[in-house]
This record gives sequence, C-alpha cells and structure tokens, in this order.
Amino acid sequence: MPSLVSITLFLPLLGALLVMALRKAPAQVVHSIGIVVSGLTLTGAVLMWSRGVNETGFAQLEQFDWMPAIGAAYRVGVDGISLPLVLLSALLFFVTFIYSAKVRERSHAYVVLLLLLETAAIGTFTALDAILFYVFFEVSLVSMYFMIAGWGHEDRQRAALMFFLYTLLGSLPLLLAILGLYLGSDPHTFDMRVWIDKPPLTGTAAMPALVAMLFTFAVKTPVFPFHTWLPAAHVQAPAAGSVILAGVMLKFGTYGLIRFALQMTPGAFRDAGIAILVLGVVSALYGAFAALAQSDLKRLIAYTSVNHMGYIIVGVAIAALALDPAIRATALDGSVLQMVSHGLVTGALFFLVGMLQDRARTREMDRFGGLLKVTPLLGWSFVLAAFASLGLPGLAHFPAEFQIFLATLRVEPVADVVILGIVITAGLYLKAISRVFLGEPREQWAGMADLNVREVLALGPLLILIIALGIAPAWVLDIIHQTTAALRF
Amino acid sequence: MARDLAFLIPEIMVLLTAILALAAEMLRLPRTALMVTLAGLLLATGLSMPLLGAHTSVFSGTFRIDTLSIWAKLILLPATLLSVLLARAELGGSDREGTVYSLLCLVTLGALLLAGAGDTMLLVLGVLLSGLGSFALVAYPRNDSATEAAMKFFVFASVTGGVMIFGLSYWFGGTGSTLLSDLARLDTAPVVAAVGLVAVIVGLGYKASLVPFHFWAPDAYEGAPVSIAAYLSVAPKIGAILALAQVVRDLPVATGWPMVVALIAVLTMTYGYLAALAQDNVVRLLAYSSIAQAGYFLLGIVAVGASPLAFESMIVFAAAYAAMNLGAFAVVMCTGRTLAALSGIGRSHPVMGVAMVVFLLSLVGIPPLAGFVGKFLLFGASIDAGFIWLTVIAIINSVLSLAVYLRVVVPMYQRRDDARVKDLAPMPLVKLVWVNAFVFTLGVGLAAQVLLGQLDRPLQ
Repeated sequence: MPSLVSITLFLPLLGALLVMALRKAPAQVVHSIGIVVSGLTLTGAVLMWSRGVNETGFAQLEQFDWMPAIGAAYRVGVDGISLPLVLLSALLFFVTFIYSAKVRERSHAYVVLLLLLETAAIGTFTALDAILFYVFFEVSLVSMYFMIAGWGHEDRQRAALMFFLYTLLGSLPLLLAILGLYLGSDPHTFDMRVWIDKPPLTGTAAMPALVAMLFTFAVKTPVFPFHTWLPAAHVQAPAAGSVILAGVMLKFGTYGLIRFALQMTPGAFRDAGIAILVLGVVSALYGAFAALAQSDLKRLIAYTSVNHMGYIIVGVAIAALALDPAIRATALDGSVLQMVSHGLVTGALFFLVGMLQDRARTREMDRFGGLLKVTPLLGWSFVLAAFASLGLPGLAHFPAEFQIFLATLRVEPVADVVILGIVITAGLYLKAISRVFLGEPREQWAGMADLNVREVLALGPLLILIIALGIAPAWVLDIIHQTTAALRF
Repeated sequence: MARDLAFLIPEIMVLLTAILALAAEMLRLPRTALMVTLAGLLLATGLSMPLLGAHTSVFSGTFRIDTLSIWAKLILLPATLLSVLLARAELGGSDREGTVYSLLCLVTLGALLLAGAGDTMLLVLGVLLSGLGSFALVAYPRNDSATEAAMKFFVFASVTGGVMIFGLSYWFGGTGSTLLSDLARLDTAPVVAAVGLVAVIVGLGYKASLVPFHFWAPDAYEGAPVSIAAYLSVAPKIGAILALAQVVRDLPVATGWPMVVALIAVLTMTYGYLAALAQDNVVRLLAYSSIAQAGYFLLGIVAVGASPLAFESMIVFAAAYAAMNLGAFAVVMCTGRTLAALSGIGRSHPVMGVAMVVFLLSLVGIPPLAGFVGKFLLFGASIDAGFIWLTVIAIINSVLSLAVYLRVVVPMYQRRDDARVKDLAPMPLVKLVWVNAFVFTLGVGLAAQVLLGQLDRPLQ
C-alpha cells in the first residue's frame, strides 16, 4: 500500500492518464474529472496536514529503490517547510480547475497539462531525492511551456519560448550543483536527507555549488536582475496559468533556496549571506518601483510578486546570518508563511484580473472606472486582495512580513529599509483601486456582469483563507515552527 | 580457436544474415530477404545476451569482448532491426530491395567491429566496411541528389580514411605492434603518439561526424532516403564513438588526448546546434542535431580511465540516443521533410505529436526521459574527471538545443485549417518503429536501473 504522500502525489497523474484514455468524452466530463481529481488531491493534502510533522527531520516518509546503481531512490516525505506548500499547491490547483471549467478550446489537453503540472508541483515539494526533485522541477517547466503556448494571449509563442529557454538555462546549473554534491558525498547518494544532515561539500568546494544553486533559484523566484522572463510570461499566460505560475511555481525558487542552498551548503550560504541579503533588498524595492510604473493590471501584479518574493530572500538571508536560533526560526517562519500568503493573495489577484479581462478584453487600468458600483462583488474582492497584498494587518501578508522585518531588525537593522517597499505597494494598489473601481462608472461597462457562481467558488476559498491567515496564523505557523525551531546548521 | 569463434557468434550471425538476405534478393524474393534479416537480427541480439559480464579478448587481443562491445551489439542490433522496418516502409517494392537489408547488416557488422576493436587494423577494417556499405545505401535511390550526396560522402571518406591509415603507421612504427594494448609503450615517444592520435581522430571523427569532419553528414542525410539517414545517424556513429573509447583506454594521458577530445566536443556541440538553428528542412536539422549529440558522447570519452562513470554513461546515452533519434526520424517519415509539413500535426495526430515532442525533449535532455539519464551520467563522468568547464559548456549547449528542437515543436501545434494535413498515408511499419522508440525513451528514463544494473561496473 503506497503512503498517503505518494497517493496525493500521483493522483493527478492518474487523472491525467484517465483523461487521455477518454478521448471522446465531452468537455464538461473532462472538466469534472479535473475538479474531482484535484478535490481528492486536496483531501489527501489535508489528511497529510492532519498527520503533521515532527521535530527530528522529515515525517511521513516513504522510500524504495529506483536506480540503486547510482544511489538514486524514490524518497518522499514532508517537514514544516514543505507541508504548507503542498497544501497551498493542492488548494490552488483545485480552485484553478473550478475557474477553468469554462475552457472549451482543446479542453482535454488543457486538463491533462494542468493535472501533470499538479503532480510536478507536489512532487517538487515532497521529493527527498535530488534526482526525483530535479525530474519534477523540469516536468513543471514543460507543462507550463505548453500551457502558455497553447492557451495564452496574443504574443504567446514568443513568451512561452522565452519562459522555457530562460528557466531551462536557470535550472541546469542546479544539475551541476547536484552532481557536485553527489560526487562529494561518501558513499555516493542522491538522498537529500543525507546531504542536509552532513553537507557533502565544505570549504571552497561549497561556494561554486552555492553559486550554481543561487543562480537557479534566483531565476525561478525571480530575483532582480534575473526576473525579466516573469512579466512577459505572466502577461501572455492564461489566467489559470498565471495563478499556478505565481502561486505555486515561484515557490520552487524560494523553497529550493531554503532546502538546497541554505540546508546543503550552510557554511557557504552564511559567508555569502550579506550578498544574498542585498540581492533580496534590491529585488524587493525594484519590484515595488517597477510595479508602480505599470498601467497593465497583470504586469502590475507580476511585479509585486518580485517585491513579495524579495522579502522571502531577505528572510532566508537573515536566517543564515543570525546567530541566535530563536531569531533564525522567526526569520524562517516569516519566510515560509510569506510563501503561503503570497500564493493565496496573488492567486486571488490573478483570478480577478482574469475575470476582468474575460469581461472587458483589456487589462489597462485607465480604460476602467467606477466598477465597484457595476460589479460590487468583483470590486470588493479585488479591494480585499489588494489590501492583503500591501500588507494590511489582519490579512495574510502581515504576520509573515512582520516576522521577517522583526528578525531583520535584530540582525541587520539597515536592511529594514526594505520596508519602504510596503509604502510603495500601498501607493500603487490605492492608485489601481481608484482608477479601476472608484469614481463614476463608465457607460461602456454599464452592462458588465458581476461574479457568477463558478467564479465565486474559485475565489471564495482563497479570500476566506487570506482573512483566516491574517487573523489567526498560528495553525500554519505551528507546523512551520516545529521544523524551523529544530534546524541546526 | 573454437573458443574465440564462440565469442563471435553474434557477429557471425549478422554476416550470415547479410549473405542470406543477398541470396534471397538474387532469387527475386525480397519478402524472404526481409524476413531473413529480421529473424537474423533478432537471433543475433538474443545470442549476445549470454555474453553479458564477459571481459576478455579474442584472436590474440585483436577483438575485445567487453562491456562496450557487448552493449554495442545489444543497442545496435535492435536499432538496425528498427531501421530495416523503416527501410521496408520507404523502399519496399523498389528494385533490389533485398540488397538494402543486406547492406544494413554489413554496415552494422562494421560498426560492431569498431566498437570492439583491439587492434589498429580492425579500426581500419571497421571504418572501411561500414563506409562502403553506407555509400551504396545513400546512393540507393539513383537520383541526382542521392548520387551527389554519396559522391561527397565517398570522397570525404577516402581522404579521411587515407589520413587515418597513414597516421596509424606511425603507431605501428613506434610500438612494433598493431595492438591497441601496446599503445602504452608510446610513453616515451610523444610525437609519434600525437601523429597517430590525430589520424585516429580524423578517421573516426568523420565516421562519428565530429566537427570539423562533419561536412558530409547533412548532405548525405538529405540526399539519402529518410530511413537510411536515420540509420546512418545511429549505427556507424555509435560504433565510431565506442572505437574511440577503445583507443583512448590504452593511450597514455601524456599525449594530451583528454584535452584534444574535450576541445572537439566543444566545437561539435556548439557548431552542431548553431547550424541546426538555421535549418528549415527537418532532416537537415536532425542531421546537425546528431552532429551536436556526438559532441555529448565525447564527455564520456574524456572521462575514460578517470571516472568509473565513463563507460556506463556512454552506453546509457547510446541506447537513449538510438531510440530517440530513430523515433524522431520515423515521425519525419510519416509527415514529410519540411518544417511546414509538420505544422498542425500535433493537433491532427495527437498521439504521434506527443511522441515527437517526447523524442525532441529527450534529445534536449529533459527529465524523466531517456536522454536526460544519459546526459546526466555523461555530465557526472566529465565532472568526475575534472572537466567542469566542459560540463558547463555542455549545459549551455543544452539550452541552445532547446531552441533548436522547439523550432520543430512550435509549428506542430499551430492552427491549420488545411485539410491536407489530416490524411497522412497510414504507415503501420513506421508507426511500429516510433511506438517502440517512444516506449523505450520513456522506459529508460523511468527504469534506467534495468540498464544500469546490467552494466558490470557498479559505482559503489
């Protein structure tokens, strides 16, 4: 009997095979399969959550031989860093399937790709073998390439190509680092737990490996100046693709930063800590300023992602620099929670922009106005998500960013200049809200329909969780903290 | 003598098959020739199995029965079988059909001799045997483009073959022996060793289409029937690469061969993909891609003697390469040679489209496909041998290769209302080939252990 983790991991893949087998099935049936399968996967993730994690390392382990000749095995399990991300992924895929139920163009291929992407995402977060991790990491690229190229907007081919080339270039250095760690471990193994417990590379050998990994994860996160693929990919991707890209796939970068860079080359990471911190600060501020300059709503949200992910980099760098374990735990708690919050908030925002675009065929802020009166449900949802995104207390981002800034203040107070980013995002969201939703409604949009049931069902869970996480973050933080408090490096 | 012959049963089987196929053709029984060839190749594959694990040489050390040569049989014989099926689909019913099967067997025999060569004279024999058969196969259609292609191929091969024999005479002079295992004696004669090395690289480099000895390949592939191009990109190339491995195994490192091979690898990979970027003909694109892929093989060669991963990685990559390359050529046979002919194929023929995407992504080295496992091991071998810079260049080239292969993928999924695309002639034999290649490309990726476990050199 496979473990719960494996069942959750491979359910979407089985669903994809089922859809492929039913080539004649109508679109509704195919979408229903997608919703049911991702619902079951979400149930699996919730059950995993209820089983929890333990302080001594990874929980809910499963392992069997795969390529014993080279020391690679199928190894999966979760800890407090990966479990929240698994739950987040399962939830985001579930609501994405609900949202996508309207897609009629080649719905078979669409559902297959999305399900494949779901397995890849959950696999990336649960893999404890470096080869397995890399496999899932790359499969997600391929699926996302076809998502953008197949269902994107006007200039999709170019954007998809750029996305694929850029992120492949980004991920190959990780392969080098993995090979380095493998050849450095004795006996040779790809077991990530072994690498974490006893980092195989030390001293000068560790630095090239760290640089390679940093490059990979900086492209994926993305960190300024490696972010240029992001706006192009987001603008051209279909709304569902944007939600998954921002909500789930950007987390691969920050998750990898903690799991690989920080945990497997801790010494080198500490040596490079200040440089990484600077990268995070610059990235957060750059993202905020760049977002301020956008008039396209989707680009705006894409750039705020650069800003929010920058805070995570800051948090991880502070964790590496901190000498006091309590502060280190606080910084990492904030970083991991920020990943979850960003997934929920940005997911909701991309859905909302997608819904606007479905109605108006444009994303230019200046072409709207007064929509709060025409479509109150859509408008207030956007206001709520935007306030969450700018870090309003009581909403999801606040507890996360607060912990990161608090730890920063204790370790490198200067770096708290990054808080300036919050001021700028506040400004840009207020500008966006006033342009799009406030004022007198334009005649052009008088007939615009408000959210329908499908859209409410897709958005509802995210908005509820944004509030829940803001008011009572403890239920997530407890899980995260069990692991971060016990980390030694 | 009897012992030595027993070790050569698969090779003898292939030779017999070639003769019988030719005999059947002379009796005007092409169908019988086909059946004989298929049965003979299958039998030879089966007879190679018991050899696994052997490590010896026959006929006074001139032919080696080792991991490389045994796996060459297990990879090239099935690959030839698939090529025969492709050739049947493309050339079936034409004049002298049976000679094609016979020639395919002979060229494969040449490639097998190369892969197990323990003697410089066997290198020459292998190059000539596989070369002569190849010219005839390329020229088979007897039209202008095929004749021109074969002529270029022939002239190029004659010159490089001559250079190789000339250079090998220096080794003979230096060691007093034609055996590769005596090359270690050249320790004290670096100039002699270097001249011979250059000669071998010229001779085998042409066969494996390494840059700068690759000029014949795109023209020959384009002029030849697609099935023959598919075959030439696999069997002789793998044979030549493995022969190079046999040579450098015994060559003193003091000659500097690892660096020479590494530089050729860089040239081959980079030039191959850059040139492929400019092609509109899919066969030419695949020709340049197969040039570049040969460069990846060299990452294993530079690690020979320095990393236990060297042979393992070359064998796994050879198996992967044979499957994905034959698969890609098979799909091209179904669709037509131009990029335009491929447009919309992914929509009108979803299964074949997925298979083609899998072949191409496997050629890039995307996990979990066969090409990934092969390249991953090659990268590991060259890092282990201290060639980190070479691995970095190989990785950058992998990104370049993605741009090359996506040029094929993108039109496949373009919308096209043209009804012409929808009804491709059904080609059951070709379908059989790409389905097999597809299963193998996926299978080796996910279950590489089956291959790795058989290789007799455990890593740990």
